[in-house]
Amino acid sequence: MKTALKLIRTELRLVLREPLVLAFVFAFPIVTVLVIAGSFGASDAHSFANIYPSQWYVASYLAVVIGAIGLVMVPVHLAAYRERGVLRRFSAAGFPRWSFAAAELAVGVILTLVASAVLLVVAGLVYGLPPVSSPLATAAAVLLGAVAFTSVGLLLGAVVPNARAAQGIGLLAFFPSFLLGGGGPPPDAMGAGMRHIARFLPLTHVTSSIRQPWLGIGHGSWDLLVVAGVLLASAVGWRRAVRL
Amino acid sequence: MTAVVTVKDLCKRYGDRLVVDHVDLDVHEGEIVGLLGRNGAGKTTTVECISGLRRPDEGSVRVLGLDPQHDGPQLRSLVGSQLQDSALPDRLRVAEAIDLFRGPRAMSVDGLLAAFGLAEHRRQAFSALSGGQRQRLFLVLALLNRPKLVILDELTQGLDPAARRDVWDAIRSLRDAGTTVLLVTHYMDEAEALCDRVVVMDGGRVLDAGAPATLVDRHAPWATIRFDARRSGLRAEDLSAVEGVTRVRLDGTQWDVHGNRRMIAHVCAELVRLGSVPDDLAVVMPDLEAAVVALLAPGSDAADPSQLELTGGAR
Repeated sequence: MKTALKLIRTELRLVLREPLVLAFVFAFPIVTVLVIAGSFGASDAHSFANIYPSQWYVASYLAVVIGAIGLVMVPVHLAAYRERGVLRRFSAAGFPRWSFAAAELAVGVILTLVASAVLLVVAGLVYGLPPVSSPLATAAAVLLGAVAFTSVGLLLGAVVPNARAAQGIGLLAFFPSFLLGGGGPPPDAMGAGMRHIARFLPLTHVTSSIRQPWLGIGHGSWDLLVVAGVLLASAVGWRRAVRL
Repeated sequence: MTAVVTVKDLCKRYGDRLVVDHVDLDVHEGEIVGLLGRNGAGKTTTVECISGLRRPDEGSVRVLGLDPQHDGPQLRSLVGSQLQDSALPDRLRVAEAIDLFRGPRAMSVDGLLAAFGLAEHRRQAFSALSGGQRQRLFLVLALLNRPKLVILDELTQGLDPAARRDVWDAIRSLRDAGTTVLLVTHYMDEAEALCDRVVVMDGGRVLDAGAPATLVDRHAPWATIRFDARRSGLRAEDLSAVEGVTRVRLDGTQWDVHGNRRMIAHVCAELVRLGSVPDDLAVVMPDLEAAVVALLAPGSDAADPSQLELTGGAR
C-alpha cells in the first residue's frame, strides 16, 4: 500500500511535467469550450434540449477532459514506459503490475478532478456555471467515467506496439469522440448518420451520463450502465494483455 | 557454501524458439559469478527467469530458497537488479528515483551517491544524465536496499575506462561486504577481472563453467614465447625441434614460438643449452577471451594460432 502511494505521488508529479498532458488535458478543453460555447452560444436553445447553449457545453466538457486523459495521455504515457523498459525496471524493483495500474487509475481520477476544476473556473468566469440538478449522480458519473476511460487507456497502452503508435491511435480515437461525443456541434446540427455513429462512441455516454443529471434533463442511468460496461470490458482486456 | 541461486533444467521458449535449453546454474554466497556468451546466447533470459520477470517453461529456479514466480514481492526486497534495456522515466530526478525505490532496509543515500559520483546530480532529470551517470544511478538503485544478491546485466556498457574501473571497484567492495553478485557481460576482461567463476553459454546451453583460470587451462592450454631473433643466431629448426613446440614463426625481428605450456620450460632450457639467452624473452599466456573463443568455436580451435597458420620452420 505504501509503495502504491509512492508510485501515485511520483506518477502524478511526472505527468504534470509532460507537455503533452498539460496541452491536452488542461489547455485543449478550456480553449475549445471557450471557442465552441462562444460560437454556438447565441444559437437557438431548441438545438440543446431547451438548455442555454453555453451551459450545455460547460456541462459537456468534463467528458472532454476524461477523453483526453483516457484516449491520449494514459496510452501514450504507458506505451512509452513499456517501450523504454520503465515497466520492466518497476517490476524488477518489486512493484507488482497491479500497483502500477492502480497508480495510473488514481492519477487519471485526480487529474480529471483537477483539470475539471480549472476548466469550470475559467468557463464559469466567462459563461457562468449551470446549477447542478443532482450533485450525487453527476459526481458518480464523473468518477465512473474517469475510471472507465483510464482503464481504456491502460488497455490501449498495453496492446499498442510503441509510443508513436499510441499517439496515432489515441488521437484518431480522441478527435471523433470529442467532436461527435459532446464537445463538437450541437446534436441537431449533426446529420442522422453522425448521430448514429455518436451513439456507438463510449465518450458520448460519459458525456450524457454527466450532462443529464447535471442539467436535470434525465437521470443518465442507461448511459452510466454503458460506461460501466466499458470499464468492465477494458479491465478484462487489460488483465489478458498484461499476462507475463 | 550456501547456494544463493539454484537453477535446474531451466527451459524457456519464445514461440517455437528454444532460447534457454536445460540450463543448470549455481551461485554460492559471497561469489561473483559471470554469465558469458555472445548476443542471443540466452544469458538475459536466464537472469530474467531468476529475477522473476519471466516464467520458466520447464525446470526450477530457487533464489535464496524462494521461488521467484510465487514469492516475488518477498524476494525482490532481497535482490537488487540492474537489467538490460530498462530505463527510468525521462523526467524523474535522481533524488526522486531514490525515494521511489528505497525500502525499509535502505542504506544511507548520501554515502551511496557520493561513492558513485552522483551527489551533485540529485536534482537532475534522468534524461539529462550521461550514459555513465545513468549506469551509476542504476547501480545505486540496485544496491540501495542492501540486497543479498545483485544481478547486473551489461552493467558497464557505454562507460569510459575510468568509470568502468570505478564500477569494478564498487562491485569488489560489494562482494567483500558479503553480497553475492551475478554478472552478465560480454566483456571478457571484465569477467576475468571480477569473477570468481564464469559460466559460458551459447545457443541457450551452458558450455562450461569454472574459475577463469581453470577455463583458460582447459580451453586455451597454449603459450607463446617471443624474443629478439637478430642476436640469437638461432635457426627455426633449432626451436621447432623442442618438445611441445607446435609452431615457430619469424615475426619481423622477433621469434614467435608457440606450443603447449610445458614448451615454456623446454624452450628456455634449450636456449640456455645453446648459450643463446635473450634479454627480452616474454611469455604470452592466453586470456579468458582466447579460452571462450576456443570454447565457442568447437573443433576449429580458432583461437589457437598454431591451428591457423603453420608458417615458419617444419614441425
